[in-house]
Amino acid sequence: MAAVLSDEEELINGLGSEMLMPPTGNHMARTGKRWSGSGSGRVNDLKRPTSDGVHLSVEAEDYISPGQLYSTESGRLFHAGRILIVLVGLPATSKTLLSVAITRYTRWLGVRTKSFHVSEYRRKQGLEVPDDYFSALPATKEGMESRKKIFSTVFDEMLSIFLETKGQLAVYDALNIRRDERKDLEAKFRALNIKVLFIESVMTDNDLVARNIGMAAQSADYKGLTKEKARSAFMRRLLVNKPLYEEISPEENLSYVKYINFGERLIVNNNRYGYLINKIVFFLMNLRDKKGCVYFARCGTSDNDKYIDDEVLNSDGLRYSEILADLVLDRINSRRLSRHGTPNSSANGSTPVPDEMGKKESSLIPTMATLHRTASRGNHKMRQVADWDGADEDSFVVWTAPRKRTYDTAKFFMDKGVVIRQRFQLQQLHPGLVADLTEEQIKEKYPEEYGEYLKDKYHYRFPRAESYHDLAVRMEPLLLEMERMQGDILIIGHESTLKVLYGYLMACTCEELPSLSFPRDELIEISFSPFQNKAERIPIPQD
Amino acid sequence: METKMGFYTVSNVENMRICVVMVGLPARGKSFISQKIVRYLSWLSIRAKCFNVGSYRRKAGAAHPSADFFDSSNKEALKVRQKAVTHAIEDMMKWYEEENGVVAILDATNSTRERREWVLRLCRENAIEPMFLESWCDDQDMILRNISDVKTSSPDYEGMDPEAATQDFLRRISNYEKVYEPLDRDNDKDLTFVKLINVAQEVIVNRIQSYLESRVVFYVMNLHIRPRCIWLSRHGESVYNVEKKIGGDSSLSARGFQYASKLPEIVRESAGDVNLTVWTSTLCRTQQTAESLPYKQLQWKALDELDAGVCDGMTYEEIEVKYPDDFKARDDDKYEYRYPGGESYRDVVIRLEPIIMELERQENILIVTHQAVLRCIYAYFMNVPQEESPWMSIPLHTLIKLEPRAYGTEVTRIKADIPAVSTYKEKGTSKLGESSAYATKYRNLLNEPSKSA
Repeated sequence: MAAVLSDEEELINGLGSEMLMPPTGNHMARTGKRWSGSGSGRVNDLKRPTSDGVHLSVEAEDYISPGQLYSTESGRLFHAGRILIVLVGLPATSKTLLSVAITRYTRWLGVRTKSFHVSEYRRKQGLEVPDDYFSALPATKEGMESRKKIFSTVFDEMLSIFLETKGQLAVYDALNIRRDERKDLEAKFRALNIKVLFIESVMTDNDLVARNIGMAAQSADYKGLTKEKARSAFMRRLLVNKPLYEEISPEENLSYVKYINFGERLIVNNNRYGYLINKIVFFLMNLRDKKGCVYFARCGTSDNDKYIDDEVLNSDGLRYSEILADLVLDRINSRRLSRHGTPNSSANGSTPVPDEMGKKESSLIPTMATLHRTASRGNHKMRQVADWDGADEDSFVVWTAPRKRTYDTAKFFMDKGVVIRQRFQLQQLHPGLVADLTEEQIKEKYPEEYGEYLKDKYHYRFPRAESYHDLAVRMEPLLLEMERMQGDILIIGHESTLKVLYGYLMACTCEELPSLSFPRDELIEISFSPFQNKAERIPIPQD
Repeated sequence: METKMGFYTVSNVENMRICVVMVGLPARGKSFISQKIVRYLSWLSIRAKCFNVGSYRRKAGAAHPSADFFDSSNKEALKVRQKAVTHAIEDMMKWYEEENGVVAILDATNSTRERREWVLRLCRENAIEPMFLESWCDDQDMILRNISDVKTSSPDYEGMDPEAATQDFLRRISNYEKVYEPLDRDNDKDLTFVKLINVAQEVIVNRIQSYLESRVVFYVMNLHIRPRCIWLSRHGESVYNVEKKIGGDSSLSARGFQYASKLPEIVRESAGDVNLTVWTSTLCRTQQTAESLPYKQLQWKALDELDAGVCDGMTYEEIEVKYPDDFKARDDDKYEYRYPGGESYRDVVIRLEPIIMELERQENILIVTHQAVLRCIYAYFMNVPQEESPWMSIPLHTLIKLEPRAYGTEVTRIKADIPAVSTYKEKGTSKLGESSAYATKYRNLLNEPSKSA
């Protein structure tokens, strides 16, 4: 077991930097490249088209993530040291969702993060537990013991991430609602030079609480129970813990973030940990509980389909656009129907939504949220402009790249009253010298460059071109804006940009990302659940 | 099929405009924070501008008002103050429209709820998102330090006896305190606001509406207003510098080592006994330069020199011969130009994000790094336009001291008096050295030290 270096040793040994290499021979060229490879240790798993990689290992020696700016010898970044993030909150306060989202984002940045979910662990091991196991303070000896056993196993696994691998960040998903538990965690990890940050999810909004309870009652723990039984089983779990809950207070002298009503308000207290933690707070400011899906589609065809000219759609492309619009709207409407039902259950979705922001008649089925919002929107002065831009749970927005054939592909959506946004960050990967060449032609014309490309497809940049990595770094703001969207969103873009967005949402590695494929005859639908995201490929009919 | 082709969709998320409305008593670091936000956003190529109501008030005829002027029962003065804020907001709205402004900062106390509601209404009517940013502070030491900074650098107290200025300023603050209504968790719960309590001991972030707002908050969370200094130095002259080669990981030349051994003395002279931390890159020429400095040292990969890719280790003359297109392309747009397999200045700016954030969080830091990286860091502190920053001359063997103040950054330049080659390349030539014929506005910024704008 490797010893944990002290902060001081780490600082000098280049935590966040590479170790110094003695100059070799008389050659003075740079030896330390920005990357030491494109490694991920997951090379043999290129065929996982629909599964989310967010829980896979990041322990490989040469792990590099798509959004990482540079690699380091220590495996840790930003001189941030090792950090344990502890979630705090009652059942049904989105702790699992937060843990996984933080894991996904920090991993994208290149931080070796792993999330630990006590309830997932218990379910996966198929452990039978007594009823009072679910209380933060079990009354019976059996309850106490099974709790102790399960928790200490997870605890040991967390420790090993720090002690036996290059892990930098662990996210601990359990209730942690007792002051003593928190004090204990803080002391144990601090003694090992591991910093501890608490993130407490507090929900005071009754609608939000009710909805979360509804979601929680659908958890795997209540499989086979009727809706009512599941709900009451869950309520027991919640009610037993409510009186035991001690909200974090400043007197505990901890570093913490209070995350209130899913990001409506954040209170950051005593944050001593610097860049990485602030970056996570920045992320939390943008995170929303997604009710809708993210859809990806390619643009329709133009006559020559070249990079070099900015053509308009040809008639095939137009037909494709029309089919795409019908397909996506149908898909969204049927999901909405199955999710909430609607006050006016007409499957055609022709219920008009009151005119707002110059919108035409909408082809979307309004949800309860629409009606609530419309009712409360009497006083426009109290609403913020941004709310109209896709951040509502019943909104549907189409983002397109700034090229003609891409935004023209959204035409039929616009005709149906959907909001269309051109995003300059969706500008496709700049192909440089190899624009409009097939792989065969590149191989023939630029054999040397092609050889280099094969070695590291993700980081390699053809002359005057962008690499996938350049593109991913350039697109970071868009990833966060995508996180902000609560409703449905369709992104019509070039395959290269779709790869980056998909790569983020499904936690792909640098190896996987360039090999992703988004053919023109498929619509990709990413749906969200707290523990993982799911991708589905839906054929787009030709006629 | 008859269809209109190539239509343009109307609205656009990128048209989002934000007004950061500062809130707080005098001497809470509002102007400092405002200036910093503008500099940071401009550095990221986002159009930002600060509208300081105090300077409008001075223009409106109250150049050196006494504390009585700020008494809320002083009707005459209230008129002048209202005129100033109206004028500032008019200019701000004009700026959004005429110069495609994106983020404006309204730097004033905005201390009453009535005033804030008025600003809110004006913003909403103009489709601008208001974000209130309050600096609330009850740490007396911090307030007193701020007062002493303001009385020596504020135009209001120009030429005034410092003791009298302090007394007047304290009275001015107490006049504001009488009417001050801080942002409130309950009463203001529907607003987008950020409340910094004792700088960043506690930060409350309420109803953030857009990515851009979150970006501003992220930045502000890293700021502090304790006095501090930052020293910048390039590494000593390297073997590659002498050989006119770019990039590489060469060691210092004999003169470079001379600079390294003299550096501790120069730093001590400038910094006195304060404790500081040295940041270097991971390349050996910065390590060697910092070797004799008796302070804690950190290596940052992010401080490594701009990666020249395939041109690493070549002279400009060789590049001009071997890659003539690249050589010219770089001169044409040096900020955006990316070496094959290497980086552009913009790439460097992106990877410097953690450095800038951490630099803001820390106190006294000495950075020993490289020409291109220093240009980027310097441009950030001094608000140098991005197209100019790659052409700034940053001489070897010179220590630069930056002292952030409420109304700008003070720069001192200390020459070590050890000769070194020039590594400066003018546009359109592969020869090195500053030629007087081509001096751009910002080239000699460091040779004529002055306050930033």
